[in-house]
Amino acid sequence: MAKTDFLTADMTRRQFMKISGKSLAGLTLSASMLSLFGCSQKQVDSGAVATWALPQGLLVVNADLCTGCQRCEINCTLTNDGVCSSYISRVKIQRRLNLDGAGNGLLSGNDNCFVYFPDTCRQCEDPACGNACPQKAITTNAQGIRVVDTDKCIGCGACHEACPWHMPTVNPETGKSSKCIACGACVAGCPSGALSIVDWDAVTSAAQAAYMDL
Amino acid sequence: MAEYYGWAGKILRVDLTTGEITTQDDAKYHKYIGGMGMAYRIMYEEAPMDLDPYDEKAQVIFGVGPLTGAGVPCSGRMNVTFRSTWSKGSSIIDAHMGGHIGPMLKYAGWDGIVITGISEKPVYLRIEDDEVSLEDASDIWGKGTFASNKWMVEQNGREFETASIGPAGENLVDYSTLNTSFGNSGGAGLGAAMGNKKLKGLAIRGTGSVKVADPKKVLELSNYMMGNLIGGNNNHNVPAQPQSWAEYSATSGKNRWSGAPGRMWKKAPGGPVDTGEQPYNDINKIALRCFKGYFDFGAPAAEYTVKNGGCSSCPIRCYTEYDVDPLADYDLPTHNSNTCMPVLYGTRVYPDGVHDFKYEGDGTMVINLAWSHAVDDMGLWDNYGNLNRDLLWILRMPREEATKYISEEEYDSLPWAWEKAGDPRWEVELIRRMAYGEGDLSVIAKGTLAMMEKFGLPKSWLDRTDGATNSNLMYNGFPNHHGPAEAWQVGMLYNLVYNRDCMIHEIVCETGSGAPYEVTKKVMEDFFGEGCYDKAKAYTPINENKAKLAAYCVNDKNFHDSATLCNWMWPMTQSPSKERAYHGDLDLQADFMTAVTGETYTQAGLQEAGERITQMLRAMTAISFQKNCGSANLRQEHDAICDWVFDKEPDFKAFEEGTTKLDRADMEKAKDLFYDIFGWDKTTGVPTRETLEKFDLGDMADDLEARGIYDQTPAGETAASEAAAQ
Repeated sequence: MAKTDFLTADMTRRQFMKISGKSLAGLTLSASMLSLFGCSQKQVDSGAVATWALPQGLLVVNADLCTGCQRCEINCTLTNDGVCSSYISRVKIQRRLNLDGAGNGLLSGNDNCFVYFPDTCRQCEDPACGNACPQKAITTNAQGIRVVDTDKCIGCGACHEACPWHMPTVNPETGKSSKCIACGACVAGCPSGALSIVDWDAVTSAAQAAYMDL
Repeated sequence: MAEYYGWAGKILRVDLTTGEITTQDDAKYHKYIGGMGMAYRIMYEEAPMDLDPYDEKAQVIFGVGPLTGAGVPCSGRMNVTFRSTWSKGSSIIDAHMGGHIGPMLKYAGWDGIVITGISEKPVYLRIEDDEVSLEDASDIWGKGTFASNKWMVEQNGREFETASIGPAGENLVDYSTLNTSFGNSGGAGLGAAMGNKKLKGLAIRGTGSVKVADPKKVLELSNYMMGNLIGGNNNHNVPAQPQSWAEYSATSGKNRWSGAPGRMWKKAPGGPVDTGEQPYNDINKIALRCFKGYFDFGAPAAEYTVKNGGCSSCPIRCYTEYDVDPLADYDLPTHNSNTCMPVLYGTRVYPDGVHDFKYEGDGTMVINLAWSHAVDDMGLWDNYGNLNRDLLWILRMPREEATKYISEEEYDSLPWAWEKAGDPRWEVELIRRMAYGEGDLSVIAKGTLAMMEKFGLPKSWLDRTDGATNSNLMYNGFPNHHGPAEAWQVGMLYNLVYNRDCMIHEIVCETGSGAPYEVTKKVMEDFFGEGCYDKAKAYTPINENKAKLAAYCVNDKNFHDSATLCNWMWPMTQSPSKERAYHGDLDLQADFMTAVTGETYTQAGLQEAGERITQMLRAMTAISFQKNCGSANLRQEHDAICDWVFDKEPDFKAFEEGTTKLDRADMEKAKDLFYDIFGWDKTTGVPTRETLEKFDLGDMADDLEARGIYDQTPAGETAASEAAAQ
């Protein structure tokens, strides 16, 4: 990437969208960038840190900091559903706590016992959930966030099936898809700072500063 | 079923004899809150204390409450009520579990599970929302809890939370647990209560929700609590080490708010995580406050720490998660985690001491973590250290003395070379023998009272002043747990109430907080009245406010185990906020009850609800003592205090500076005040008819009367008059 890739927040976001879906492993980050993300280069190298380019900023997930308390799920559902639940949460940690299907989790009985972290919606540029929806109920709002039109949603679960990470979930009590709207409640209430959203202007400034240093 | 806020509205009933599974609306139990309170009422009505604890009709009742799974911080608890097989009177008793399974039960739509009957073959209970079934557990019967929980998740899917008993429970070892998550367990013999029923475990998945009346208010109160009131583990309200934002740090330099700059999770996969400073109003750093490993073991803990863990909903992460790699040299699991007794007492079974393994000073830690994994895997309980104390008592004897109690053959079969070498396989072998009931020594895991009977030890064995091998406050088979050494007469009084250790943390959370004494004293006296809060090792005679504080603690704890809230964190007594003059907010739990349920609660109302449970406990204890001990005079039979409490530290008199010993006559006066507050007869300690009727428990009064308990004449002079005569 060149310095000119980071002239505006929008350009920065597009650069980060290219690496969304992967951990940051392999990238060397500047000191200011590491400080902004609240992580170390070693955490980046180990794959503990993943980032997702959301419209309002860069979502940073630091697996080493996640302590499995489920407050992200609690804050998500109290904020968006007016109830408290794990299953319909738009951020999902419970399903990774015990056995995550990839050899991690408290009951794995191996060296990855204590590897668990929340899955988050990626707000994909080319959203599988939206593409799969037979009702075209998942659309992009003015802020660039992909949201469910509950008037159109018939709760068929196509979004859940199509998402590679099965993040949208049909709420069995309402029959509507509960897809992340990037409200930030999970981040605001995370007691360990395992989840954070870094404003695009700040990421852009840090990226530019890094190139100035070169 | 009617729909409620807070409560799921229904309980599950499972008869293991017939396999019948039914559903019951639970509205009639809501005045008992849930959890412990609901279970006490159900057991009183349906499975009288006359039953043998292992009778087919005996119940094991899993209970959660309106706050469980409702998003309230520190509410991830589940209470389990059953009958004691090891403490005096075989009375009603509870186990208390954290982890994630309690909230999951709520999400599945249940406030509780009432288990009766005995299955013919090993089964586990599978709950997926309204689909409930008994499933074959023969593949995991005999296996440890870690493998069993893993198997149940593999069988059913990763969104299931599970709990399993281990070999100890299967073999009806009285000291046994039910284990969930990683190191979270409920003890008190729950493993055997389930093992007797051939119920190996639970697997629960809930796709539903807990309805809350005012979700915005729940979020607002949560943020208020997390930004203003909550401290570290045990709600310690100042950091252990100085932090730039904090006026105070712990006067001793040590408490459970033990995260600090330079204190690292060194084995995090991405390299060391510095726990750093955690300003009291920074919600996003709360999980870094407690570094329980550092509190327990000091600097060596950092070398082995991966991260923190704990229970659902709680921002305070009191479980340190370790990779103790030296244990690999002994073919023992290296990934271990626990927060409480399992990581504190393993070294007690090494009378010759332990040695360092990899880092200077890490010996205690490595040995204790090996103990932790082994007891959790076997599902073995330690009765708050009595297992370890009783083992130490015999293991440190010369061979000729020890073989008066266990056979020479058994003594010589113990791998003593491992003990001498400080080898962790020694403790693992002892634990295995306990869990499988092997040999004379394993009577220790049947309970201190069973051991005393088998070994022919007199009652006065419990009066000894050797704290390393005796901390029994009373003659009932369970030890001191936050008693008078931390909470003067208050700690002694609240220990009198239960049929196991009290599990009350209301006072130790304050005395251990690390704040200067005068700061905490001001908070406590503002809340509970003048003279209620003694200084460490400078006790004063009993007064009414102390007795009231003790009663408050009992009722508050009973509410917590019913709601459910974690009693290590709640209530919010102190605050880390200088602006609040370090005062917490005792009304917050009532405010949460109101916001969640939509019904109006006050702190006074919660005390009343908690006291209703206290009165049920006391009445049911009287019934079981009449049946099993021949007398329902609880003052004499249940509440008698061991001599060492008054006789230890002979160079001191009670109330002199420098001792925590109590005074006999003062303590009898304290009982008088305490009984008076609770409306218990001063001679017998039994709730009067008037008292029970005040709590709508007139049927219990009728029962006590029909059983002749109100007619009983004390066998002799009361302890109070004896003491007065001295």
